[in-house]
Order: sequence, then C-alpha cells, then structure tokens
Amino acid sequence: LLEILGEDTWLPAPQNISMLSTNMKHFLTWNPVIIQGETVRYSVEFQGEYERDYGNESWIPTWECSLITATVCNLTEDISAPVPYNLRVRAHVGLRRSEWGTLKGFFNPLTTSLTPPLMKVIADGYHLLVELEDMGPAFQFCVLYWKKGQESRMQQKVVKEVRSVVHLDIMEPGADYCVKAQTHVEVINRSSSFSQTQCVRTQG
Amino acid sequence: GPCRVPMTMTEIRAGFTAIKAKIQARDPIRTLSILSHPHSLHKVKSSDRCCITHHLLNFYVDKVFRHCKTEDSFINRKISSIANSFLSVRRKLEQCREQNKCTCGQESTEKFNQVLANYEGLNVTSAAMKSLGELDILLDWMEKS
Repeated sequence: LLEILGEDTWLPAPQNISMLSTNMKHFLTWNPVIIQGETVRYSVEFQGEYERDYGNESWIPTWECSLITATVCNLTEDISAPVPYNLRVRAHVGLRRSEWGTLKGFFNPLTTSLTPPLMKVIADGYHLLVELEDMGPAFQFCVLYWKKGQESRMQQKVVKEVRSVVHLDIMEPGADYCVKAQTHVEVINRSSSFSQTQCVRTQG
Repeated sequence: GPCRVPMTMTEIRAGFTAIKAKIQARDPIRTLSILSHPHSLHKVKSSDRCCITHHLLNFYVDKVFRHCKTEDSFINRKISSIANSFLSVRRKLEQCREQNKCTCGQESTEKFNQVLANYEGLNVTSAAMKSLGELDILLDWMEKS
C-alpha cells in the first residue's frame, strides 16, 4: 500500500520490508513512501549478532544505501557472516526523517536460496569439458558425469575454484556423455539442487 | 585435528585485507607483537591447536573488536563482518568442545596467557588495534592447521 500524504505531515516509516536472498546475494526491498512534490530518500542500517551481544545493540549504516532514492539495497558486502541480522530502513525528505521500519524477524545468510550453476558442456575432440558460471569465492561445484546408458558408473568431480573450463574425461568415439552440476557453499554447508542434465556426442 | 572448523577464510580474509593497511597505519608500535611474542603461533603443538583457536576467538570477540570502533564507517563495517564471522566459527567450535575434542594442555594455557600479557602491556586501544592488525597472522595459522 503506498502512503500518499500531504506536504507538512510527519514522514511515515517505509513498509513491507523484505529480504530477497539468492546465491549469497542479499537485497533488502521496501515500499516507496510518496510525498507530493518531494524527493524521498532512504537509509539502511544493519545489526549483527555481534552488535547485539557485544556492541551495545549498536546499528551500523550501510555504505551503498545512505540517502538513496531507490527502494532496494544490496547488502551482500555487509552481511557476509552466517549469523542472524536485524535490518532497518527509514525515509528522509530534506531534514525530516521517518521512524525506522524494521524487517520482521532476523535474516540469516544461512537461509539464502541456492540455484544450480549455469553450465555448458563441450565435446572438444575426445575431451569432455564443462564451463561453469563464476558465482563468487564462496561457491564450489560438484559435477557428475557419465557415459549414457551407464548411469551406475557415474563419476564425480569437485571444483573448488572456478576456472573458465574444467576437463572431465577422455571420451570413447561415437558415444554420448552426460553431465549435471550443483553448487556448494561451505560457510553455510548447503548445496543447490542439480542442474538440468546436458549430453554431448563424440565424433567417430 | 579433530575439530577442523570449515571456516570460510575467504570472506574473513577479504574483509581484513580491505582494511589491513588502514588498521596497521594506526599501530605506531611496530616493535611489539601480541600474537607472536616471544614465540610464533606456529610453534604450538597440533594437540593444542583447537584449544588455542578457541581461546583466540574468544580473545578477539571479547576483548579486541569492541575497542576498534573508528570514525571510518568503511572500517567499522568490515570489522562487523569479521566479528560476526568469528561468532559463527566459535559456535561451531563450541559443539566440538562439548564433545571433549578440544582439550587444553599446559602449553596452550601458557601460550594464551602470554598473548593476554602482551595485550595488557599496552593501553587498551593500542592493544586492540595492534591485535586487529595481526589478524592475518592468526588467519594464516588457522588456515594452515
């Protein structure tokens, strides 16, 4: 519900605050506060478990989201530890400031949703190669590959650091080979589901 | 050892690297060390590693980070990220301690008492800033174990 208010009334706090977190990228969003003829700006602050338990419940202003006009804030840089965080945002019009709007409940990066990696399987002569998406330093990959029809002899390769291309195997001529992959994030000890299977055929 | 904490050094090290020069520039006493005087952490026996790690995590959380607040919001944010990561790692180590796999021998107790003595030999802000500036010594040692 958008708050549309007159000129000199108090400034309402942002509403409908929520966190969108996918693949360890965390974005706070909220409804815009609309004041006729005014530019409304927003500031975001966070409070980790450390600040609550050891830092006198202090709040820390984010770097990217001080006096911004957008209604989304990328908090990935600031909330990287797998602990519960409080998050809040307020509106500014000139010198006027609203009360804080606070995210309901904690946000913990542990709960980020993980998606399978983008992947491209390449048959380079008899070499089975895979190109994996670079998802950032926190990500590792588990790659499964097998000769079509021999699913029971599936092989696994763990890729800790993304290189442009990963060599999986030497293939037999005229055979089909299939590959699927998932991501793993060690700091939260969770994995994504597997990607769609992709198959390639060797020449000959 | 038995208590290998799957700690993401990448995040912590990235946070520390971003502020290391600024932090070390605030430490005028370059002739003293909190963590490495008189002996390096690398001399600690493997059986004592888990206990020393736990002691040092507590040391940084309880004593160091809280005295490192600065006027620079970038530094403060990175310290927050590191401090919260330390809490997460300490919690995992607690689970290990509860299973009695993190015993403390005489050497680890002596080593940690030496760190505390080094720390208390300076005024608290200097000691905290110096300890923070030596975080890579701790990270290198923990990564090696």
